[in-house]
Amino acid sequence: MDAPLVADYLRMRGVSRRGFLKFCASTASLMALPPMMIPQIARALETARRPSVIWLPFQECTGCTESITRAHGSTIEQLIFEAISLDYQHTLMAAAGEQSDDALHEAMKLNHGKYLLAVDGSIPLGNPGYSTISGISNIDMLQEAAAGAMAIVAIGSCAAFGGIPKANPNPTGAVSVADIIKDKPIVNISGCPPIPIVITGVLAQILTFGLAGLELDHLGRPKVFYGQSIHDRCYRRPFYERGQFAESFDDEGAKKGWCLYKLGCKGPTTYNACATVKWNNGTSFPIEAGHGCIGCAEPDFWDKGGFYNALSATEWGTPADVAIAGGAGIALGAVAGALARKHQNDAKATPETKP
Amino acid sequence: MSSISASIPVDAFEKRANELPHTGTSSLSPEEQVARAKEVILSNLDSRTAMELETCIHCGMCSEACHFYEATHEAKYTPIHKVHLVRSVYRRELSPLRWFNRLFTREITAQDLSDWQELLFNSCTECGRCDLMCPMGIQITSGIRIGRQALAAADLMPPELRALNDEQTRSNTLLGVGIDELQDAVSELATQGIVVPLDRPQADVLLLTTVSDLLLYRQSFAAIARILDKLDLSWTIRSDAFEASNFGVLSGSEDGQMLAAKRVTDAARACGAKLVIVPECGHAYPALRFDAPEQLNTPLPFEVMAISEFIGREIKAGRLKVKKIAGGKQVTYHDPCKLGRHGGVFEEPRDALAALGVELHEMESHGKTQYCCGGGGGVLMLSGSEELRRRTFDIKMRQVEGTHADSVVTSCDTCRMTFERGAKQVNWSLPVESLAELVAANLAD
Amino acid sequence: MNTATFLDLVRGPLFYWALMIMIAGILWRLSGLIYFRIKSRAAKPKCDDPVVAGLRTVALRSVPPHELVKNITFLLLTCYAWHIGWFATFLFFGAHLPLFKSVLGFVWPALPNSVVLVLAAMTLGILITLWIRRFYNPVLRLISNFDDHLSVFLVIAPLITGIAAFGHWSPFGMRYEGILAVHILSVELLMIWMPFGKIFHVVTSLIVRFRTGAAFSRRGVRA
Repeated sequence: MDAPLVADYLRMRGVSRRGFLKFCASTASLMALPPMMIPQIARALETARRPSVIWLPFQECTGCTESITRAHGSTIEQLIFEAISLDYQHTLMAAAGEQSDDALHEAMKLNHGKYLLAVDGSIPLGNPGYSTISGISNIDMLQEAAAGAMAIVAIGSCAAFGGIPKANPNPTGAVSVADIIKDKPIVNISGCPPIPIVITGVLAQILTFGLAGLELDHLGRPKVFYGQSIHDRCYRRPFYERGQFAESFDDEGAKKGWCLYKLGCKGPTTYNACATVKWNNGTSFPIEAGHGCIGCAEPDFWDKGGFYNALSATEWGTPADVAIAGGAGIALGAVAGALARKHQNDAKATPETKP
Repeated sequence: MSSISASIPVDAFEKRANELPHTGTSSLSPEEQVARAKEVILSNLDSRTAMELETCIHCGMCSEACHFYEATHEAKYTPIHKVHLVRSVYRRELSPLRWFNRLFTREITAQDLSDWQELLFNSCTECGRCDLMCPMGIQITSGIRIGRQALAAADLMPPELRALNDEQTRSNTLLGVGIDELQDAVSELATQGIVVPLDRPQADVLLLTTVSDLLLYRQSFAAIARILDKLDLSWTIRSDAFEASNFGVLSGSEDGQMLAAKRVTDAARACGAKLVIVPECGHAYPALRFDAPEQLNTPLPFEVMAISEFIGREIKAGRLKVKKIAGGKQVTYHDPCKLGRHGGVFEEPRDALAALGVELHEMESHGKTQYCCGGGGGVLMLSGSEELRRRTFDIKMRQVEGTHADSVVTSCDTCRMTFERGAKQVNWSLPVESLAELVAANLAD
Repeated sequence: MNTATFLDLVRGPLFYWALMIMIAGILWRLSGLIYFRIKSRAAKPKCDDPVVAGLRTVALRSVPPHELVKNITFLLLTCYAWHIGWFATFLFFGAHLPLFKSVLGFVWPALPNSVVLVLAAMTLGILITLWIRRFYNPVLRLISNFDDHLSVFLVIAPLITGIAAFGHWSPFGMRYEGILAVHILSVELLMIWMPFGKIFHVVTSLIVRFRTGAAFSRRGVRA
């Protein structure tokens, strides 16, 4: 049985033509697509079939699922999301137990080669027993599901880069999807969690245009949301430029909303849309709330030298190390000096050196 | 007072100096030259010089202090470049980082030694002006001294200086000037009514004189004798050790240096002198006052003073009284490098001039920054330096003329000779006067 | 390796090793120098207090007598200007302070960014000019060596890369993490080279001035 056309589904739910076109326009602007593409979006959505989406959760905290269900924007967008056939999702699906297993296998069989595989959570390679679903290890499940997928969307920093489980010392041997699957296109939507509307926006883009128009950065993230750093769009940037920094979380500078660089903000090296799109329906984002960016959309953000250590602070060892280096230097110098003194004395002792 | 006219009789000093050899080569093989030079450099480097050699930042400012560079604008006369030989050996063989330095610093060769003879002897008077300039505080003259000693050990000192050092070491004479010439001078002074107490067994003050005084500037010798008599001091001059000049210092021969110094210190001890006075000679003063105790590693049991220093002290203390010179005499004072920058004798000559009532017009660079006359450090004796001396003398001339003084007063024979020769070369007519002679000619009754 | 991991490398193990090498190198070179024999001081000095004289020279050698430096006043001024500008940028630029805080445990107030940027640009201009001068001035051409050129390059590199990082330039299409990493790396290279070349004069120059001042004072001369 073919899935219904998205347009039919919308009409069924009472969305007018006008409302539908308004949605396409706002989607175009969100994705930074030119207005002339609006008819194309409309046509694509009208003729798109409800694609099958299979969502596999691995070593995750369910934060990404929580995030996507907070997606703001027009209700229509949520309808679009509902318009996909979410055939397998632990948190949201009604089925459980063996029935959910059956649902998974049936969806995979029915839509073989055409379904979109969404993954959140990292995959443990240390011992498959660390994370299983119905007794099947994450890696086995991933490889089986990936085989029939048209593309994979790694949602959240865990799936995209390994995330929190991968943090030093990585006891489970956690890795990202891209570390395992090499033969399918992978779109990374990183963040811990990613911004709700970023997840839905990317999915909407893939639904509308497939993977064709989606430009990815060197880490596989869509450039439209991950192309600029937080720093480049941060409203506190003028304070950085002028050198006005908050020195502690409750000092005058902090109260005046000065730059949080010295309090460890990783905005300059973090690429995400937080500074423009923000969180909670555009209410605020961490920096605006007075806490530095922790860089959660970047790989290994837990191991970048501490959330409260500024980018310019470094790992320099300990005073003990310095003492050892100093001691080694003094020892080498003493030896060099003693040998030089001996060389001088030998030269002095040589007879007949002066006329 | 000696004034310059177009024709000057060739004096005995000049005649004998012209007879010195002007060419010569080392008697050692190239390998031996390098080995000996290195031995000396290694032996003589001390803590201060080592640290200084580590600290040069190649800014080139020292060149701007050097009269040889200023007169010619030849980069090779940059003072720190003159020390390159010494620095290379240090960096390769003694520096704490020598294993690393060897990647960047090559070994010195016999050709280097030969090339550096010009830089260490012919174009450096060890005047020390570069020592004052260096922003790092490097005393380049220390490196120059070691460099000269190294070349001397390799038998590569300039032939004139080698000959003079040999003569002084062998026969305790210079340019043939020995006991005979001394006695001749003593007799001449006697005809002027000055009694020179020769070879007293005991005396408080031991006076020295120089080959240039005995051959050329006997009036300076006479002036000093008159002053010592006026002060009613118990003094003597010894025929076995009357020479203040130390050609070991000037040639770089450490043995020659020690021998010449020891002759004087032994004589001073023998007669129980409490004070040794160095006549109007530049290098002799630091050689005896500072270098000798360092080289002998023992303090001297007597004071050493330069005559200009002594005169100034005695005038200031009121023991030596002078008359004021009438007629508003305008002079400028040339501080000999070895008395001034190397000896700290600045105030005393000026006290003497003030007491004489002359109007002193200081040169733009005077006192510790004054320009070298260009003849010190043995350079006056080197035929190979004649052209250089002529060019550097220009600088001194302009400095003097800038004062609009009627004469230049100084207290060093080499400076005096350099001035006179330079003036003769360019037909400059400004008189050069000796401080001792000026004072002795105006003693109060 | 991508730029983010390159940044981790320079902020982490590379800085550690650069700091250790710098400390070991400085102490090696300095302690080796202590072992040299001090020249005999048997000559009676002409002054009472060589220590005071030494300290005088440490301070006043920076201001030589006018007649000595009248030909090089321009050089003196530019050298002061770039030293002051370089250290002001290094020590008083706001974004650098967390580094000092993490290594030393304390900090000091920063200069406004506008001031620091002007100083950094001035310093860069002067350094480049002086480096070019080192090639065409005959004296400098004769006495300069590899150390001189490497040292000035390593002093210029942090300035250029720092200005580029602050301004978020993208040379060769580099992302910000990349240019920041290159900047930190340039500082580390400077730290590593510092004990081995002429930049070591920051450690010895004051000692040398002191000793020379004391030595001159023993001869009765204020140098």
